[in-house]
Amino acid sequence: MRPASWLLLVVALSLAFDATLLAVGQERRIAQQRELPLLHTVTAALGLSDLCVATEARYTRHPAVSDPVAPFMDHPGAMEHFPTGSFWAPPPFRR
Amino acid sequence: MNSALEKHLNILDYALSALWRHRLKNGGIVVVFAAVIFLVASFQLVTTALTETAGKVLAVTPEITIQRMSAGRQEAIPLAYAEKLHDIFGIRAVVPRVWGYYFDEVRGANYTVLGVSADMPQADELSRAVVGGVMGSGGQGKVVVGRAVSQALQLQPGQLFSLFRPNLSLKAMTVAGIFRPETDLLTADLIAMPLVEARDLFLIPASKATDLCVYISNPAEIGTIAEKISKLLPDTRVLTRPQIQKTYQVVFGWRSGFASVCLLAALAAFAILAWDKASGLSPEERREIAILKILGWETADVLAMRFWEGGLVAGLAFLLGCTLAYLHVVFFGASLFRPVLVGWSVLHPALSLAPHVTLKEVLLLLAFTVVPYLAVTVVPAWRAASVPAESALSG
Repeated sequence: MRPASWLLLVVALSLAFDATLLAVGQERRIAQQRELPLLHTVTAALGLSDLCVATEARYTRHPAVSDPVAPFMDHPGAMEHFPTGSFWAPPPFRR
Repeated sequence: MNSALEKHLNILDYALSALWRHRLKNGGIVVVFAAVIFLVASFQLVTTALTETAGKVLAVTPEITIQRMSAGRQEAIPLAYAEKLHDIFGIRAVVPRVWGYYFDEVRGANYTVLGVSADMPQADELSRAVVGGVMGSGGQGKVVVGRAVSQALQLQPGQLFSLFRPNLSLKAMTVAGIFRPETDLLTADLIAMPLVEARDLFLIPASKATDLCVYISNPAEIGTIAEKISKLLPDTRVLTRPQIQKTYQVVFGWRSGFASVCLLAALAAFAILAWDKASGLSPEERREIAILKILGWETADVLAMRFWEGGLVAGLAFLLGCTLAYLHVVFFGASLFRPVLVGWSVLHPALSLAPHVTLKEVLLLLAFTVVPYLAVTVVPAWRAASVPAESALSG
């Protein structure tokens, strides 16, 4: 078999593998979509504004209802020191 | 077979053989390049998944939330503020809410305590999301806890537990139910209870609440009504539903520190690769090109050969990097990013991320990685191929 045929085989197998991964991922998306009405009920009934991803600091637990300056509010000259602060960008400026 | 296609297949065969001759070097480039693409693609997939989820789930968040501000900090808002809003046309309901954080010193965990009124929309349907009973007042208040809280405190429905009030007296509560696992992304750290119980726990007077949720009849009027509220209550911060949704489009953006590090690492690695390639071909590679030209190859053929070489290296790295990134995010819950994503959080739900991969995002990543690599490999080859073969051999 010529080298180009080997390449074609490798690429085809990789793409087939990727297509399988995407199909499994798509199934998960559909399953998540089915749970959406339940999540809407919880959000509406509790009036939630944020996802529970990180719980270490109030400004990454509830970024939507925190100020951009919340990380520096502990005392004058305070530094932001929680690790999640490096992953979560500050929320857009608001009054 | 078409002669042009056959010619290109032959050039491709030659390019593959050339790559195989230097397999250690080229394999190294593929691995490094794939790692860079993996990092960038993983971050992109995580942020896409979280932003998408937030957009869908928070679509029914209160239309307007009013918080009272004092000296730049949020403070309890008097319920009298709600009465001032009666004159604004279009407001359907104003519902007070009491919420805050409770730090469990023994476990080092932060719980979110949420006191909600029965007037909240869909409050009567909350039982669908709970295993066990719903919350209620009287005697020992009945609360509903998130799964992470129930695991941390080892609580089961019907069990009694206590939390400290600010004056260190104990408040006893009964676990009425536990939120279903499907709602973990919203409720993992929640202790939900009636408004009166939350007031009792935080010792907040009955005349105050943490914030006010405002429900509007016509969502198209959110902006106008928010503006009116801002004017009427100047010491408050008025958050609208679109602002809350916009928050989640921004907080996982490329401007966060971690994302910048990923991007800078990728750029630095790519700059080193590009510099190595663009600084010119090695004498051995020049010699190879000269021999090919003597054998009858034209400049265009040499360029095609280098193009294939660059394309194969970059393409394989792209395929490998993207596949690993998808596996990492969807099947391993972005485990490499978790230490930074959740930080020192003791309670955090298991993330089930299923991002929607769009052609636009794939092409964007391709344009930022593969295309520049192709450019920097072809340019020095063109310079070498345009030099007469004799001078390349003698030089």
